[in-house]
Amino acid sequence: MSGKVIEILEEGSGQIFSKITPNEFREHMREKVKNAWRDKRIDIKTAIQQFVHDGDYLTMGGVSFVRLSMAAVHEMIRQKKRNLNLAAGTRTYDFNLMLDAGCVKNIDCGYITGMEIFGIPYMTRKNAERMITDGEMGIAEYDNASMAWRHKAAAMGIPFLPIRNMMGADGFKHSAAIKIRCPFTGEELVLVPAIYADVCIIHVHRCDIYGNAQIEGALNEDLGKSKSAKRLIITTEKIIDTDEIRLAPDRTLIPCFYVDAVVEIPYGTHPTNMPGMYYVDIDHMKEYVAAARDRSSLEEYYNKYIFGVKNFAEYLEKVGGKERLHYLEDLEHLRVR
Amino acid sequence: MRNRDYNIIELMAIIAAREIEDRAVIYIGTGIPMLAASLAQHMHAPNIVPVFEAGGVAPQMPTLPTSVGCSRTTYRAIRTCDMPEIFEMAQLGIAHYAFLGGAQVDQYGNINSTVKGRYEAPSVRWPGSGGANAFGSLCWRTMIIMNHEKRRFIEKVDFITTPGYIDGPGAREKAGLPPGTGPYRVFTDKALLDFEERTKRMRLIGLLPEVTLDEVIQNTGFELLITEDLKQLPPPTDEELSVLREKVDPFRIVLSRGDKNSKEEN
Repeated sequence: MSGKVIEILEEGSGQIFSKITPNEFREHMREKVKNAWRDKRIDIKTAIQQFVHDGDYLTMGGVSFVRLSMAAVHEMIRQKKRNLNLAAGTRTYDFNLMLDAGCVKNIDCGYITGMEIFGIPYMTRKNAERMITDGEMGIAEYDNASMAWRHKAAAMGIPFLPIRNMMGADGFKHSAAIKIRCPFTGEELVLVPAIYADVCIIHVHRCDIYGNAQIEGALNEDLGKSKSAKRLIITTEKIIDTDEIRLAPDRTLIPCFYVDAVVEIPYGTHPTNMPGMYYVDIDHMKEYVAAARDRSSLEEYYNKYIFGVKNFAEYLEKVGGKERLHYLEDLEHLRVR
Repeated sequence: MRNRDYNIIELMAIIAAREIEDRAVIYIGTGIPMLAASLAQHMHAPNIVPVFEAGGVAPQMPTLPTSVGCSRTTYRAIRTCDMPEIFEMAQLGIAHYAFLGGAQVDQYGNINSTVKGRYEAPSVRWPGSGGANAFGSLCWRTMIIMNHEKRRFIEKVDFITTPGYIDGPGAREKAGLPPGTGPYRVFTDKALLDFEERTKRMRLIGLLPEVTLDEVIQNTGFELLITEDLKQLPPPTDEELSVLREKVDPFRIVLSRGDKNSKEEN
């Protein structure tokens, strides 16, 4: 024994909103994986009722306006889920809708409220500013990389990961990260705490009835998120035969033993992009950002597209139905401009 | 706006594209950085490796992406992966350039995209870091693109989202960031700037066509270093403009932000 100790140089003052519980998670997974070969098909309403609880720590798949599980987001809003803790790295439209609907309590922030090229919805920004100032919403400050590594750490079954960014930034002070001196190199490193989530929802291109899932395009944080939540809901464009999975096992990005629910919802990410299938509905995004200019038009937007419909199929009719969706498919494949 | 046949977004994208060297690995943020990288790829830098944080590696963008994860960022790419892998590549030293925007910047190239005012009670809450903090911390050279306004180019940013040279030479290394990294160029709607080697302070090295030195000074909220051989940068060529309009952003997704009557958010 050298008697060496790892020196803690600086600590952020931000809160940790998820529990760091690798051992408890191991126990949980030990039992959960026994359901690997259960037929997990279920409808979205039941899935949200059964697996998403008020006060949960929630992680969601996709990025920006890409592969967001909008059918699940609509359902959580309709079911008035409350006090959710949210992993908010790379979030846009999904986060905004949930924030303005009153679902959110605390956030680990990487990127919030922005809609990239479409700007920041005015009401959402105002709402976030008020909730932060009034202390109504807890916020800890990270960035997309450190958030991605926090999910990855949990997926690795460990309590933290050492990383080389966040130092010299004010975000560090408002995070729960810790700066140490590396016991091997003597250099400074930042340790970010793992996020062991309660529930995760990810939309995929295809999976079988057990949840063996294939995803195309950018994967964002989905590999880490899918493996670091106690409960995982997969929404999918299509359910395929397990033989198809077995023909190309290298394409399985989420194996079935992580999965709790499989919900088939074609066009389930509209108005966001499903790589290789349909493109972002730019007009709808603009309609949303415009509606978010004031309270009454934003309320109208919710009433029209979320509260005023029974399910996602009805929503899809409202946004233009087959004709619109086929246009977005053509756009994705560069057949139209 | 002066009377000319290109808009300011087109001009900024073209000026930035010219600074992109061939064979570089470039980490790209949304908006003008996408325009500049794609234009460079079509013109003088066909061998760059554009990288998008959501997982797109070396795509050949068919049209301008609407976000850092959309399918245009993986079109004819050589690999798609997840976000940890992208940032691990940067941590490993693969990323030559980071190309990003922000809401405020100071003379040491520190960028704020988090809050205006006090963190606990912000007068404006912006989206936050996104990929920027890790881009600017881990990539070798950071290129910053912003509108040149006194309220954005300020003495001290309200919040350091992405550290530049922090408070001067050696400060990045002292904070524990990988050595040899830091801000490299700043592209604005008025000027081209770099960071003077000895002081690490922002320095004016070029004026955009028809912009005067006085205009730049008037719109900068801190004392700017000025290079001895200050140049007036040449205007866009017909070729640059036509590639930008016809190949890079044919739908004018971002280019239209520079059109008359188009208003910038925030």
